[in-house]
Amino acid sequence: MSEYQLNKLLFMLAGQHKMVDSLSEEDELGSYELSQDEKDALKKGDTIRLYELGANPYLIRRVFRPRFKV
Amino acid sequence: MGDIVAGMLTSHAPLITAKPVVSDPQQRSRFLAGFDVLRQRLEHARPDVLVVFANDHLQNFFLNNIPAYCIGMAESYEAPSKGGATFLKIPPRRVPGAKAWAQSLLEAGWEAGFDFAYSQELEFWDDVSVPLHFLMPRATIPIVPILTNCVAPPLPPPRRSYRVGAFVREFIQTKCPKGQRVALLGSGGISHSVGTPETGKINPHFDQRILEWVRQGKGDALAALSHEEIEKEGGNGGQELRNWIPVLSALPGHKGEVLSYEPVPEWITGVAIVWLTMS
Repeated sequence: MSEYQLNKLLFMLAGQHKMVDSLSEEDELGSYELSQDEKDALKKGDTIRLYELGANPYLIRRVFRPRFKV
Repeated sequence: MGDIVAGMLTSHAPLITAKPVVSDPQQRSRFLAGFDVLRQRLEHARPDVLVVFANDHLQNFFLNNIPAYCIGMAESYEAPSKGGATFLKIPPRRVPGAKAWAQSLLEAGWEAGFDFAYSQELEFWDDVSVPLHFLMPRATIPIVPILTNCVAPPLPPPRRSYRVGAFVREFIQTKCPKGQRVALLGSGGISHSVGTPETGKINPHFDQRILEWVRQGKGDALAALSHEEIEKEGGNGGQELRNWIPVLSALPGHKGEVLSYEPVPEWITGVAIVWLTMS
């Protein structure tokens, strides 16, 4: 699936200054064309997997800020 | 004919203002002392306009339309915006712009072959707000932001930033009113990794190599770095050196006086403050 859709979701959440450990279906995941792999990584808050899947690292850090120790 | 009256390079990072006290007190004191000296010199230079080379962090632009270079052409800017202030922990405020100046620069750029984008509304986070928080506490000098894409690859090559800086110098020297005083600030770097599996990694060796070139006024050496070299040695945040390069190329013959450099793990960044002086 397109990493563009993944980044689009993260961009939307970052714009809301959302900072979370993980996401759920309530976070509008269904509004974006995401692969199961992408959905799983989002729901786990797996920042490394998201990076591997092409999520922009600046958006990863913004949205999943609690996942980072510093 | 305008004059470039100040050349400055600084790092930015949200944690500098968001969590200052998590850093080592001595490191913090030395680093902030550098900002203090830089602020005094900027005030002494009495600029009419401050050109700020910085980068968006995907708060203004998204992948549906990313400008390689964008000139801010607004009456004023949110620096920081209300949203940015929530995590920068500094008050939101508006900083004046220099709209007519920016439009002249934009049009001169198009004539010279630089297809700058422009924006009449930009909100800033640490990119612009953190250095200005320390350098311009009263928001007195109108700014012209020139944003380079440093965060959403593919990025414009560093050597292109070198040519942008030379163009800005020529614009100031040939198109600006006689006696107009212009200051230049490059905001970003040095080594840091943001949101990648290497988040938190700092490379003081890379930082010192960059600072040595800066001391020697070798902007061309920075411009010769490839995207891959920067990414490997300086992390994805090191790509922000694109904001330092145009200041160096706009001031040939100048050498960098490194007022402070500290690799601060708690701010996940090798942070530096540099004043450029005619050698």
